[in-house]
This record gives sequence, structure tokens and C-alpha cells, in this order.
Amino acid sequence: MTIDGYCTLGTDREYDLTEAALLEALDAAEVGRAVIAPVDRCLAVANREGNDAMRQTASRHPERFIPSCSANPWYGSGAVEELRRAVGEGARMLVLHPAVQGYLANDELVWPVVEAAAGERVPVYIHTGPPGQATPWQVVDLAERFPQADLIVGHCGATDFWNDVVVAAQAADNVYLESSLARPFLFAGYLKQTGAARGIMGSYAPLNELTFEWEQMRLALPPEYMEAVCGGNLRRLLEKRGAL
Amino acid sequence: MIVDCHTHWGICWEDRDAGDPSAWLAVLDHHGVDAAFVMGHYNIHRLDRCTGDNDRLASLRDRVPERLWPFGSVWPQQGDEAVAEARRCLDDLGMRGLKFHPWIQGFSTADPVFGELCALAGERGRPVIFHDGTPCYSQPEQIAGLARRFPQTTFVLGHSGLLWSWRSALEAARQPNIWLCLCGPHMRGVEELCRRADGDRILWGSDFGFGWSDPIEYRLALLRAADVGADARERILGVNPARLLEGAAR
Repeated sequence: MTIDGYCTLGTDREYDLTEAALLEALDAAEVGRAVIAPVDRCLAVANREGNDAMRQTASRHPERFIPSCSANPWYGSGAVEELRRAVGEGARMLVLHPAVQGYLANDELVWPVVEAAAGERVPVYIHTGPPGQATPWQVVDLAERFPQADLIVGHCGATDFWNDVVVAAQAADNVYLESSLARPFLFAGYLKQTGAARGIMGSYAPLNELTFEWEQMRLALPPEYMEAVCGGNLRRLLEKRGAL
Repeated sequence: MIVDCHTHWGICWEDRDAGDPSAWLAVLDHHGVDAAFVMGHYNIHRLDRCTGDNDRLASLRDRVPERLWPFGSVWPQQGDEAVAEARRCLDDLGMRGLKFHPWIQGFSTADPVFGELCALAGERGRPVIFHDGTPCYSQPEQIAGLARRFPQTTFVLGHSGLLWSWRSALEAARQPNIWLCLCGPHMRGVEELCRRADGDRILWGSDFGFGWSDPIEYRLALLRAADVGADARERILGVNPARLLEGAAR
């Protein structure tokens, strides 16, 4: 099963991905399923609105869309409650975006939601990269502190933390690398050092064009990595909570 | 006509090919790239190799002057020596401009000697290309500050803010002496920059040469697939690079 590890569904500022357009793009790219995530505004403040939208959209296409959810840690216990509510209703991944949500990835503020996600057996996707609120080594801090959690380094720290991403991933077994923005021509090289079991293909549509990213990734990945990176690894994490 | 406005004669290439650009140029040939702004790597990575790398860039250019358009670098921390080396690059070696990577080279754009270098480039009518998109020394806003301070100098954001600062690059490009090089932003960022910035001040680049990976395939295909219009694409790839060099050398 091929899975696109991260697509932003909805309309807001530069985001304009509709349900129909995503289905069409998945078909064109011959990709089976996609994790769908809310737009930035819903990551930052309107968590419940975004989480409900993801759940409702996925419920219309359960064989194609896998809903994620977000809960801004600044909401404190309310964030944990919202995470548990969303997961209880079907969300399979927690998305954190420290630059958009306003904290450092390894801040103690984040610990309760990461701990709750581990308890709920859903992986935590963290957008990483400049300006530095979320870096590969900050994710490693979380991975060490919460060894039961699965942490996904969204974008591999692209671009300016690319120096760190391989050695950081090698420092913690529960850290995975998501490809979007890292660019296929570099991502394949990272995986040769970390092992293909750490790789997750994500397009980050619509900021990247989904079919283009999949085409480029299929050109760049060694054939023996394809199954694991293009769906197998992520499926293993997502199915800790039950079959998809 | 396709001009790649952001390439490097990389350390790994120099260590293997010792000043012979044949294999490097073959990659450009493979992708149909006609010419390139070629910048150093040793010269922004090691102070002790800077002058030698500048000489090497000129030597590479001399082998294929119609295809390689070199940009030298210096280190402002060297004070008067840096200014002298910049003069040598522009006046003696015939460099097309200067290239700086303040993050790697470790200097602030507020450095007074760096101000002298910017003024010199403006006097000579040569553009100054930057790595940009990275705190704390290479933000688009900091380069826009230089553009305000040195209105006679043309500055190029070599990455258009990279992935997360394309909005900052767009703001910076309000300064009439700032150009953008599409070498880093995701496809939507490329589309928005082309839609909202002055299309006569946009370039394209790949960052080819910094390592062994080949980013030209991806970044050229991205520009071709982006919704930017055929006319704009043609200007970006072939017309604007020549305009930059001709205009800046006024």
C-alpha cells in the first residue's frame, strides 16, 4: 500500500487543496492513501475546527484518506483533551508545528501532548526547519524523553538543519524522517545512512505538487527502498492503533 | 537559453577533478543548461583557500568563457585585505560579481568592512549574490537592509528565502535593487513569487555542485511544472540573467 505521509487539506492563504483535487492527484500519481492535515490556522488556533474537518472528510473516503489532528500545546490540559477526543473519533497522527504554534519543539510545554500521543499509540509528526523552533536534535530530545512515542521529523529539518538530520536520526530509534521539502535527490542519500526503515514519503501538497513529488521520488529512490518508504514504514506506525 | 544562476565549483569536485570542469559541464549538458553563474565552495568554506579558489574560478571561466560566469568571494573579517581581494576579483580576474554566504563565513551584514565591499561592487556595477533564508546572518530582511543602505548596488537573494522565508524574500524584493533567484522555495512559493514580484528581477538556479547530488533535474522540472506562464519562464531562465549582468555592469 502506498501512502502519502502528509497533505494539507483545505483552503487558507496559499493552501487550496480540495477533497476532489486530492483524490484526483492521488489517482494520477497511483498513490493509494494520504494522511490529511489541517491548514496552518487550524494548527495554530482553531484546532477542533480543523480536526473535525479532517475526520469528516476522511469518513467520506475511508479507503483513501487517513485523518490527522492537531492540538496546540499552549492550550495545556485542553490540548490533551482535544487530542484524545480527535483520536477517539479516528485521527491517526498528531501534527505539531512549533513555528506556527509558537514554542520550541523540545519545550516542556510539549511534553503532555507527546506523552498522550504515545499513550494513544499515534505517531507525532513535527514540522521542522528554519527558523529553528523545530530542529532534528530537538526531536531527538523528545524521542529520548518519550521512548514509547514515534516521532516523525517532518521535512528533515530542510533546509538549513540538513547537516543534522542523519546523525540525529541515528541517535534515536524512534525517530523517522519525512521527505517533503528535503527533496528526493537528497532524501535517498539520507536513507542510505539511516536505513530505509526510517524513511517516510510525504508530498506536503499543495505547497508541493503531489504528482510531481511522487514522480521525482520514484526516480530517486533505490527500488529496494520503495515499498518501505512509500507506505510500509508509515503504515507500521499508523497501525499500532489498529488496522487501517 | 537556460542559465543556471546558482551553481558551485564544489569542494568534492575540486578534490576529485582538480580544476577540470569537463565532468561538471557534462551534467549541465545533460539537462540542457547553456551557461551558469559559478561560485566557489572552498572560498566560502575556508579562509586559507579563498584566494586560491578565486583564481580557480577565473581559470575555469577561461576554459569555457561562453558558459561559466564566475563570482568570487572574500572574508570581511580580513579588513583591508578583503577589500583588496575583492578589487582583484572584479578588476583583475574579471569576475561577474561577488558571492557571500554570511552564515557559513560567519560575519554580519552590518560589518563595516562588508559595507565597503557592497559599495565597491556598486561602484564597479557588479551584483552581489547571497545565500539567504537562514538566521541569524542571512535573512532576506538583512539583505534588504543592505539594499536600502547601498542603493547603487544590485543584490541577489540566491535562494529567495529558501523554504520558510519566501514571504520575507517577497518583502525584500520591494527594494528595486533586489533580485530573486528561484533556488529553494517549494512549488507554491515559486508560483507566488512569480505572481507577486517583479518578473524582470527573477532568476532561476539549482545549487548544483555543492555536493555530488544532482539538483538540476528536480529544480528545472519544478519550474517547468509550476504555474508561472511560458513567457515568465523564458525570461527567468534566459533573458533576466543576461539583463542582470548587463544592467549591473552599466
